Amino acid sequence: MRTGLRVDGLTIRFGGLTAVNSVTLDAPQGRVTGLIGPNGAGKTTTFNACSGLLRPSAGTVSLFDQDVTGASAAARARRGLGRTFQRMDLFDSLTVEQNIALGLEARLARGHPIKQLVSSRADRKAVRAATEEALELCELGELRREPAGALSTGQRRRVDLGRVLAGGFSMLLLDEPSSGLDTAETVRFGQLVSRVVAERGCGVLLVEHDMALVMAICDYLYVLDFGELIFEGTPDEVRGSDAVRAAYLGSEAA
Amino acid sequence: MNELLPFVIIGITTGSVYGLAAMGLVLTYKTSGIFNFAHGSIAALAAYAFYDLNVLRGLPWPVALLLVVVVLPPLLALVMERIATRLADATATMKIVATVGLQLAITSALLAHYGSEGLPFPAFLPVETVSLLGIEVGIDQLVSTGIAATGALAFYLFFRRSRLGVRMRAVVDDPDLLSLSGTGPVAVRRSAWLIGTWFAAISGLLLAPQIGLDALLLTLLVVQAYGAAAVGLFRNLPATYAGGLLIGLLTALATKFVVGSETLAGLPPAIPFLVLFVVLLVAGKRRLVEVGAQLRAPVSSPLLTPGATKVVVLVTLVVALAIPLVVGAKVPVYSNALVFVLIFASLHLLVHTSGQASLAHAGLVAVGAASFSHLAVGAGLPWLVAVLLAGVIAVPVGMLVAVPAIRLSGLFLALGTFGFGLLLERVAYRTDFMFGTTSTLEATRPAGFASDTVFYYVLLGFAVAGGLVVAVVNRSRLGRLLRAMADSPTTLTTLGLGVNVTRVTVFAISAFLAGVAGSLYASQSLSATGTPFSAYNSLVWLAVLVLFAMARSAAPVLAALFVAVAPAYGGGEAMVDWMPVFFGLGALLVALHQAGARRSGDAQDADARDIGSRADERIGGGSAAAERLAEVTAANTARNGSGAPDGARLRIGASR
Repeated sequence: MRTGLRVDGLTIRFGGLTAVNSVTLDAPQGRVTGLIGPNGAGKTTTFNACSGLLRPSAGTVSLFDQDVTGASAAARARRGLGRTFQRMDLFDSLTVEQNIALGLEARLARGHPIKQLVSSRADRKAVRAATEEALELCELGELRREPAGALSTGQRRRVDLGRVLAGGFSMLLLDEPSSGLDTAETVRFGQLVSRVVAERGCGVLLVEHDMALVMAICDYLYVLDFGELIFEGTPDEVRGSDAVRAAYLGSEAA
Repeated sequence: MNELLPFVIIGITTGSVYGLAAMGLVLTYKTSGIFNFAHGSIAALAAYAFYDLNVLRGLPWPVALLLVVVVLPPLLALVMERIATRLADATATMKIVATVGLQLAITSALLAHYGSEGLPFPAFLPVETVSLLGIEVGIDQLVSTGIAATGALAFYLFFRRSRLGVRMRAVVDDPDLLSLSGTGPVAVRRSAWLIGTWFAAISGLLLAPQIGLDALLLTLLVVQAYGAAAVGLFRNLPATYAGGLLIGLLTALATKFVVGSETLAGLPPAIPFLVLFVVLLVAGKRRLVEVGAQLRAPVSSPLLTPGATKVVVLVTLVVALAIPLVVGAKVPVYSNALVFVLIFASLHLLVHTSGQASLAHAGLVAVGAASFSHLAVGAGLPWLVAVLLAGVIAVPVGMLVAVPAIRLSGLFLALGTFGFGLLLERVAYRTDFMFGTTSTLEATRPAGFASDTVFYYVLLGFAVAGGLVVAVVNRSRLGRLLRAMADSPTTLTTLGLGVNVTRVTVFAISAFLAGVAGSLYASQSLSATGTPFSAYNSLVWLAVLVLFAMARSAAPVLAALFVAVAPAYGGGEAMVDWMPVFFGLGALLVALHQAGARRSGDAQDADARDIGSRADERIGGGSAAAERLAEVTAANTARNGSGAPDGARLRIGASR
């Protein structure tokens, strides 16, 4: 198992509130790792710290065995960390195709003034190939010329995913990718994630509320509650845990 | 120390008035989420209303004062509350443009109606002096400080203690929560706007006797309140008042220290903008949280098909080529329009393509104009070299404007750039680096192309080239990055882009075009002066450009025609004076219209999302899904070889 994203003793405080308290987790490449917990458990906050949008109060984040705690979000992305957003931050004024192409283009352009201005022939070729692949994977071929702002929620989720897939990231953070999807779409989404992980060998850290999906596609789970890691283990072990049942699943699963 | 005291007293007098104006500004901003750029013009409006009633109509001053203080503010407050509420659904740029437009409309209407000459303002307060600490102090100064301080204190107590004050604070915190508790936020907002306009009106009446009646000056004096508001980080009222005092004191003391220096003469009046600029930069995004929702621009599909666009461009070009043959002596009017095409194209790149409202654009054009004169006339460089170099010189200045763009966004970017523009105008325009103390420089046209008609074609060449540059940028990778940045800079960052570089690049390109446009402006008018490039004109330009926002890429051309050509036909002087009023009102209407369109669009969106939502079936979700997931699980199991039985894996999902 190759190392992917590791979080060690991550603590995040907002003023007096400790949103995430000393969380340690490991999301290797080639695996789908789930991060679950009730609303407000600190999942998205953990994500934001992993992708560099938030500075942790304590603890470290490392990517492929390199410490990136102090690195900017863009620097982490250039090292191969991609993420989606729960609220699907698409570039609404661009077409689906352009949105997806930017997944790779933004990375190629980096912080380089000339590369941001013009793209080389090799770049263009790579971007075209990655875009076509992602469009096909996410079944977006027919929508390629539509402006992203005009899409339905389910379609927007696919564009968001397609964008990080086109980026060719080795580690993907997916934030509630199935919310707003109908059941058939959720199934296809699960298949897609499994397929991508199998084919590309990339790692996925998944925050998700849909238990069926989580249990189906995750190899290993971390359970957060009130900012604390209360349990970790395989889906089977998590299902068997009384602590998880009490905190999260409540009486429903009992 | 004693020779400083008079300056301290002046500082406190004016400072407390700024403080009062700034508190009104912060209150309305906090309760409505709309930063009222028209705050200063409300002050000017009140002063002119008093003048009109007292001097022109001969009412005794107490009656006039009563009318201005008691009748006028509630009327204005009602209008402002309506506007602000409608604007709640507008994008950040439109929120800015709306009140900038209103400011433009009010101030220009005052200028057009009462003339731009300063008028003597009736001194309604006693001007005798009394001795205080050995200094002769005007009673009017004492009274105005007293009024401002009392107003500020009374308001503070009201805000902290009274029921309505508490409700106002609740609106600031969470308007939705307040309406749940049974208090209409509308009523509270209305009172906030009443107090806000009231404070603006009073500060206008208190400032006018000291500086005379000058609409632009009065408007800008209250703009000084922006600096005070920045000191309070746009939320803390006592700190805002203190900021007003600080700015008043610094300005007055600076006046004392720069006496005798020609170069620094512009510094004292620029201090509020220096404070504004520095505070905004130092505070940065983390400490400056915008009030109100952050909304994105609505999605728009192209107006014309690519084929139709080509036809339109071609026809426009043919018309442009034919113009000198048709219009006779009016050629210079159209030459001017071509320069404006370039100016608006460079602004368009910032405002529309990259979604950054910059209010320092006139400053960049001015830098180009002044540099051109120094290079072409002073250093005797060939014309074309001087034009291009002037563009290059504007680039670092543009990159300097990009510094606030890195630290700030939305409203605070607009305020920061406006502060920078004012700073440039007040401090740099009169130095020898720019227009010098004589404020007019010579400028030339290229040898052999000097006649109006031939030079028209030279300018047409530049306008077309500028248009091509913008078109190429739009189609390039940078164009996509800029449009994406306008939508969501955070996402771009998480995809690996260094967005600060993108911001600096677009400001640099825009500044180059603006600098070239400045050279051409100077060349066309055969002289370079700062007057056409006042910071105030940055506001006018933004308003006009937004007026034509619907025309997308054609906006710069239409805006240029409107600004440069329309006044030359019909109306004469009066038309020229009243034009900005229409620009301003037009920009306000466009912003209101866009907000209205958004709201109806959002309502439909919300409906669509409700249908698609399945929040109720999240945990332990639908068993249908679980069954169909078996397939996925099988694939998963095969991959990691864990061999867990499918049924077990799905039990939680299927347990209902």
